[in-house]
Amino acid sequence: MTDKLSRILYAEDEPDIQMVAKLALESLGGYVVEISSSGEEAIERAPDFKPQLFLLDVMMPGIDGPTTFKGLRDLPQFADTPVIFMTAKVQPGEVAGYTELGALGVIAKPFDPMTLASQVQTIWQRHHG
Amino acid sequence: MVDRDAMQAQLKVLSDAYAAQLPEKLKQLELKWNQFSQANWDKEDFLILHRLVHGMSGSGRTFGFSELSSAAFKLEEYLKQAGEKNTALNKEQHVQIERLLGELKQSASRSDKAPAEKFDWIAAFSGRSRVSVSRHVFVVEDDHELSDELQVQLSYFGYEVSVFNTLSKFRAAMKKNPNVVVLMDVNFPEDEFGGIHAAAELQQGRDVPVPVIFLSAHSEMNVRLESVRVGSVAYLTKPVNIGLLVDKLDELTSTQSQAAYRVLIVDDAAHLTDYYAMVLEQAGMLVKVVNDPLEVLRPLSEFTPDLILIDMYMPGCNGMELASVIRQLDEFVSIPIVFLSAEKDLDKQLSAINLGGDDFLTKPIEAHHLVSSVTSRIKRSLLLRSFMVRDSLTGLLNHTAIKSQLSHEMARAKRQGLPLAFAMIDIDNFKLINDKYGHPVGDRVIKSLSRLLKQRLRENDVVGRYGGEEFAVVLVDADSRVAMKILDTIRNDFAQLRHLADDHEFFSAFSCGIADNEKFSDASRLTDAADKALYKAKHAGRNQTMIADV
Repeated sequence: MTDKLSRILYAEDEPDIQMVAKLALESLGGYVVEISSSGEEAIERAPDFKPQLFLLDVMMPGIDGPTTFKGLRDLPQFADTPVIFMTAKVQPGEVAGYTELGALGVIAKPFDPMTLASQVQTIWQRHHG
Repeated sequence: MVDRDAMQAQLKVLSDAYAAQLPEKLKQLELKWNQFSQANWDKEDFLILHRLVHGMSGSGRTFGFSELSSAAFKLEEYLKQAGEKNTALNKEQHVQIERLLGELKQSASRSDKAPAEKFDWIAAFSGRSRVSVSRHVFVVEDDHELSDELQVQLSYFGYEVSVFNTLSKFRAAMKKNPNVVVLMDVNFPEDEFGGIHAAAELQQGRDVPVPVIFLSAHSEMNVRLESVRVGSVAYLTKPVNIGLLVDKLDELTSTQSQAAYRVLIVDDAAHLTDYYAMVLEQAGMLVKVVNDPLEVLRPLSEFTPDLILIDMYMPGCNGMELASVIRQLDEFVSIPIVFLSAEKDLDKQLSAINLGGDDFLTKPIEAHHLVSSVTSRIKRSLLLRSFMVRDSLTGLLNHTAIKSQLSHEMARAKRQGLPLAFAMIDIDNFKLINDKYGHPVGDRVIKSLSRLLKQRLRENDVVGRYGGEEFAVVLVDADSRVAMKILDTIRNDFAQLRHLADDHEFFSAFSCGIADNEKFSDASRLTDAADKALYKAKHAGRNQTMIADV
């Protein structure tokens, strides 16, 4: 794995959030961002897009974020790819639950579009710095 | 730094779209709830309901609707708990959900970007606020008398003000990262430069600096320098001139996009001009390229550039000669001219500057260097120009400028065969206001009318302060009838505006006369006719609008 983050796959069902997150991550973070509208779609697209990082919304119709996470882990090429959860639930217990699952970090929703990219970068560096 | 401004602009588009969709989303939510609450327990429907609310809770703040986020979050939590048993909701739960739903709907009208309702009279009138940058000001000043005064004065101009008399209180408030403009005293009892130190601390680690305006009894260079170093946007000396301060704040919080800078490039090397043009266009400027220096006159007068880039060595006419020619044209005496050249000889560069150039960029020129050099030149030159053409109290065009703008617009309307209307406005019984409440109050009335006009007229209309309490408006692509409609609405709204003087409230009004270019085809007859109509409106009892007869 290279140390510089550039390719991110983001699973998120809300079209509003999809657009603003893509904008924020691409123009302020300089990342290449692929959006999937569901967990299933994320698992399907990941092999072609080859992301270095997954951003997963926790609550999505169909399979939710944590289930998507497990589905990705089952694919050999993504067995170690870092995952950050996006969630509106910010209770410490739940956050701890996600990190125990193996998530790199958790970003609270609603996020600030001006700082989203740096939040992602900070979490990434914490683990690759 | 990545293109933050472009990002902000795109973000604004997305936020506007989000705001526009909100009513529809709320309607959908309400519909779903009505369906759900009238039928038996349906788990699928309940999940849909939950998801709709969840979506708002997770998105609102991102688009500037924090209150919506929190209201939706509260409702979501309640729904989750109420739905746990998977059985029909009881009466109490119904009532509670209705109540939270009501709160949610209310919160949707409160965008973060217009935090204070009390000042929002203009927004309330127009139905839709154009104000989108925070108009919340933090005044940090240990002198209570001054801070209270600032609070009162600024609130007259539509700013919401929070006062902090100590730096520690201010620091505590800033922890919440409010979207504010900070008005900061320099000197505090515990630290002579406490304000500057607090500002430095504040800006640390921020991508987007908090706008800080310093107030100081000192005008020394070292204090000013320190203030600039910590990123201040303005430095005002005490006693504070409220007019200046409000102008600065208006400028900072204005959402009206500035017209794009216009740059004319004269260079015979087409591949280079294309490159420069691309670089400047990417920075948001309008660019016109001329590859033959002898052809410069027409584009000069038609394109009306803010700055000219000229190559030094061109066939037929070199850059220095061209600059001299341009400088001999009256309208271009003060336009910034920048030379582009591979010339490294300082003497030659200096002689080029002697001949009317302002700056010298040595090829090859780096893109960011070109952009920043052009931008700073244009900024300064426009500012200088604005001192010449703007009225200092209102920032509107002054008498001479509005008159020249009128002839300019009339010529254009004639060329394009479009209607044009001209209006004269005069505040009724203005002398009484001045006599009764004093000149500062009178000035405030003038400023509030000028703000109302600026906010409510169409983007291409031109407003000027004609004299004392008299204003002039050029309405492009409008005849008297259209102008009447626009101005009479403004007149009506202005008459309902409450003005404050100490503890009194009072109302003011204006009369207005309108004429158009269909009946009056030259500028002086048009002005005259509008003036006569205004006089008639005054005679007919004031607070009304009249159209000029032939």
